[in-house]
Amino acid sequence: METQNFEEKLLKMTKPEVNQLKHQDMLADAITNAKDKSVVSWWWLSIPLFIIAMLTMKSVYMPHTTLISNIKELKSQQPVTSVIFFLIVPFCLIIFNAFSILKIWSLTGDHKDSNSVRAIWVNGLMIFFSIIILIFYAL
Amino acid sequence: MTEIELLNKIKNNPSEFSEFFKLYYKPIFGYILRRTGDFDDTADIAADTFLKAFRNINNFSYRGISVKVWLYRIATNEVNLYIRQKKRDSTIFERINVADNDLFNSYLNDDKKELEAELQKHEQFLLVVKELKTLPVKYQEVISLRYFEGKDNKEIVEILNIKEGTLKSLLSRGLEKLRNKCNQF
Repeated sequence: METQNFEEKLLKMTKPEVNQLKHQDMLADAITNAKDKSVVSWWWLSIPLFIIAMLTMKSVYMPHTTLISNIKELKSQQPVTSVIFFLIVPFCLIIFNAFSILKIWSLTGDHKDSNSVRAIWVNGLMIFFSIIILIFYAL
Repeated sequence: MTEIELLNKIKNNPSEFSEFFKLYYKPIFGYILRRTGDFDDTADIAADTFLKAFRNINNFSYRGISVKVWLYRIATNEVNLYIRQKKRDSTIFERINVADNDLFNSYLNDDKKELEAELQKHEQFLLVVKELKTLPVKYQEVISLRYFEGKDNKEIVEILNIKEGTLKSLLSRGLEKLRNKCNQF
């Protein structure tokens, strides 16, 4: 009986209500802008990786050619394109992804869930592929 | 607009998240405020809740629950995490980039003044929350959802992902414990 009365008191008791929150819109914008841009990074990375895949295929199917000779040929025939996609893009992606990892790390603090760990892993993978592309260019 | 239409809009264009925010931020903020009884903790936990929701929104449709239930679930986990850790290393507002920091802080201070005044109007509620916070988290969450948020068994079972029998037993034992603590009422 006493518990029932207490239950009724809890239900009837007035509770604080939230009517207006001025900071709401600015917070929504800040959260929307905090999303990582890994899809854009993958698009840029896919171009030099695709070229490397093509050059690898060429060295396999064309006699007397190697991947290194094909990369050297590309560098001499397409100097601007090769510098952009094999030097500038991977270099920028390494910096961008390193900052992205730092940002996710600070955003998640001590509460790293599976999504933030996956985002850090994807960024790390992009840094790895960017380094591979730089190594191919240096060959 | 239905929940599915809104979710599809956000998936296609993340800037549509502000619509989602307009719909759900206030009720979730209210829920966290009624659980913690403190504005600063509430603002921090609510922001963390919506950041998590935003980051996981693409996976949402596979969960088979309504958006509101999903948000209550994230908020409940965040509040429980906060209660268990007692303190946070840094607030989310130190970790996200707001367009105009001064303006944002002034808005936040205005909201704080208003809601602290609102909390003071409900003295009896604050006393109950103070006693509730001394109980184990499992009792806090069921009592808060039932008596502060007015949720029925079906909704609480969905939010906490527990069986109805477990809920009934937690409610009964939790209520008895809270009543003993609040025997002055």
